[in-house]
Amino acid sequence: MENIGGLCLILAFCLGVYSVLASVIGAWKQRPFLLVSAQRAVYSVWVLVATASALLVYAIMTDDFSIQYVWAHSNKAMATIYKFTAWWGGQEGSLLFWSFILSSYTAVVVFTTRKKHEYRAMMPWITAVLMFTLVFFLMLVAFVEHPFRILAIGRAATPMDDGRGLDPLLQYWTMVIHPPFLYLGYVGFVVPFAFAMGSLITKQPGDGWIHTTRRWALITWAFQSTGILLGAGWAYAVLGWGGYWGWDPVENASLLPWITATSFLHSVMMQEKKGMMKVWNMVLVSTTFFLCIFGTFLTRSGIVSSVHAFAQSSLGNYFVVFLAVGIGATTWLILNRLPYLKSETQLESVVSRESSFLFNNLILLASCFAILWGTLFPVISEAVTGEKITVDAPYFNRVNIPIGLFLLFLTGVGPLIAWRRSSGDALKRAFLMPTVGAVIFMSVLVSLGIHHVYAVISFGLCFFVTATIGSEFWKGSRSIAAKDNVNLLRGAIELTHRNTRRYGGYIVHMGIVVMFIGFTGSAFNIDRTVEVKVGSTFKLGRYDLKVADMKGGENENYVWNHAIIEARSGNELVATLKPELRKYAVSGSQTSNVAIRRALNEDLYLNFAGMTADSKVILQSYVFPLVSFIWVGYWVLLIGTLICLVPSKIKLQYAKMEVVGIARQPQPVEN
Amino acid sequence: MRVNLNQWKTSVAILFVASICVAQSPTSFITTDIRRAGEKLACLCGACKNTVGTCQMLGCHYAAPAREKIAEMQKAGLDDEKVAAFFVKREGLKAFAVPPAEGFNALSWIMPPLALVMGLIGIAWWIRRSQKPVLANQLPDGSAERVRAELDKEMAKFE
Repeated sequence: MENIGGLCLILAFCLGVYSVLASVIGAWKQRPFLLVSAQRAVYSVWVLVATASALLVYAIMTDDFSIQYVWAHSNKAMATIYKFTAWWGGQEGSLLFWSFILSSYTAVVVFTTRKKHEYRAMMPWITAVLMFTLVFFLMLVAFVEHPFRILAIGRAATPMDDGRGLDPLLQYWTMVIHPPFLYLGYVGFVVPFAFAMGSLITKQPGDGWIHTTRRWALITWAFQSTGILLGAGWAYAVLGWGGYWGWDPVENASLLPWITATSFLHSVMMQEKKGMMKVWNMVLVSTTFFLCIFGTFLTRSGIVSSVHAFAQSSLGNYFVVFLAVGIGATTWLILNRLPYLKSETQLESVVSRESSFLFNNLILLASCFAILWGTLFPVISEAVTGEKITVDAPYFNRVNIPIGLFLLFLTGVGPLIAWRRSSGDALKRAFLMPTVGAVIFMSVLVSLGIHHVYAVISFGLCFFVTATIGSEFWKGSRSIAAKDNVNLLRGAIELTHRNTRRYGGYIVHMGIVVMFIGFTGSAFNIDRTVEVKVGSTFKLGRYDLKVADMKGGENENYVWNHAIIEARSGNELVATLKPELRKYAVSGSQTSNVAIRRALNEDLYLNFAGMTADSKVILQSYVFPLVSFIWVGYWVLLIGTLICLVPSKIKLQYAKMEVVGIARQPQPVEN
Repeated sequence: MRVNLNQWKTSVAILFVASICVAQSPTSFITTDIRRAGEKLACLCGACKNTVGTCQMLGCHYAAPAREKIAEMQKAGLDDEKVAAFFVKREGLKAFAVPPAEGFNALSWIMPPLALVMGLIGIAWWIRRSQKPVLANQLPDGSAERVRAELDKEMAKFE
């Protein structure tokens, strides 16, 4: 089996190389048969990579411990679902998983565009870029980090009785779906990049590729958002201290392309509606792609220390070469094609939607830069000064909180400013009430005793943005309700359906606001670590917590022990929680299984941290106000994103002040 | 048989509890003063990006002894600066949770706002450049106003 798996990977690599060459030569020399065979090679590569993946999964499921990867990342006691996750639980398997997703994306792109004439010229180049990236990963998985390596003593294959198993911390349900979503996001950004390069190479500055890739970028962005939030949810529920974001380098690496993709999704509207910022969009698409590769590099090279990183390996050098070649070629291509990327229209006023997009991009990229800088600074500093330094969470919080608040402010301001220009009166009409409301709201918070400056500002801005978005829905829905004689809810649905991108976008913004409420709640966290005897009570915030009992037991995977805690607020029993400690049989590692009483206003969070020598329970207890808003906000964001993907009922074309001398006619666009 | 199995399970659980017993009470070193001093210092355990003051792993091989040391130094009357200086002497600059704003490391604080300012300058330059009245200069007299009025009329339909 391992031989067939290895053969599949080598064949996939060879066919991938062929597909790249056939695409490029076919497009260059105008040989249609080469182009067709290149596309068929894409499908063949998918079949081969899928076969190799299926063989690895089969080996994991059947406990084939003669394969080193299976032995290192699975064991007999693991539940079936966690055995499946072992596919991407280690370096080699995750590279194979990367390759599988990329080959699937490539096959989908080739299949869905096969009859689209507008892509006929650029499709070979899109295929070449996608397959070039895939070939790079196939090279790593086939020749450097091979997942089908067998355990052997001398020349004899030596199967082990049992494997080492997956890290117990990863045996949690969100970890089953967190990596696939994150990978779907990471890998998906290759597609917009390939379209961008295809349009540059074929000198097609038109909007066609933008329309297609915006949809891809949006779907990929949703995957990435989901992946990041699932990771946050895992950290919150598993690590035992209620943190959902620790500014770890690998966490940061997942956030960086998400930020630039967010920036792209905003600025691409300028290109669609106004024919502006074409160079900038190219830069953003390319930056997003290279940040995805860079994130993969960070995770796998060992350049920065992270609990999320795979074991240190020689992969870093390969990634450096790929990044250097890719960034060099892309930069040259963009510079060479500058004459084809001129704006079709001009900016008419600083006070306009166009300007707000510029500021939005600036702030997003400033945040991206700050995170990247903080992540890499220890490496840079050590290289320059020779001394190691630490850049921990306080640095990132100090730098990014003001940036985030300004971004929140722009989230409310941008949508209310008109395209082209806004008059003073229009601005006053749009902003007076939300601003006054926000100021009054902040005053009320201060008078209620909330003196945390950032928290007051953040809540005020959340109010402001909610008011601006609400007023947009209110005005539009009321007008439709009056005109069509329907109720306000039907009016709101009709309004959203008429312009899904605009109102879906507002809902995404609302999701961000709700998440900010959750982030801000962390300013009021309460924590207490206590040692208590069974039967004793201690106080945390408004709760009286009584350690009612202790119980223990075991199953084939681990030994467990849990404390039974009764939580009372006043005289009312609000919850009985059972935080648990586990010790895994095979690895011998110990993990805590926290108990959480979730509520919209606050979570009560208990971690059974251990026992003292005199048999007291050591409990870490926390109250996390508003943390549930983060998860609720994610669902709002996802619903908004899905609405954005629904075609609008009415298609509008925006008026443009065109620049004389730019040849192409603007095509009708949505919105 | 059932009794034996239960007894066996209880023994396993007791053994497990014994194995997780913490030798010295970790909660003795979680006080407001220790947390305040510890928040300036990085937890160098390698598993988290927290500070000595905020690291939540009770048995952390770095934060727990560091907190104990801070308690000892505070008992001896040393202030937060001297506590931090002790750890820097022992571990080097990496003992700080954030880079010190001096020498080369000051760049860690300077660069993000500098990038923001550079971006603002870039936007200002781009706005100036793209606001050049290309259209108006090439139209006959009065046409620019007529076109603009027409555009305003069109835009009113969408707002």
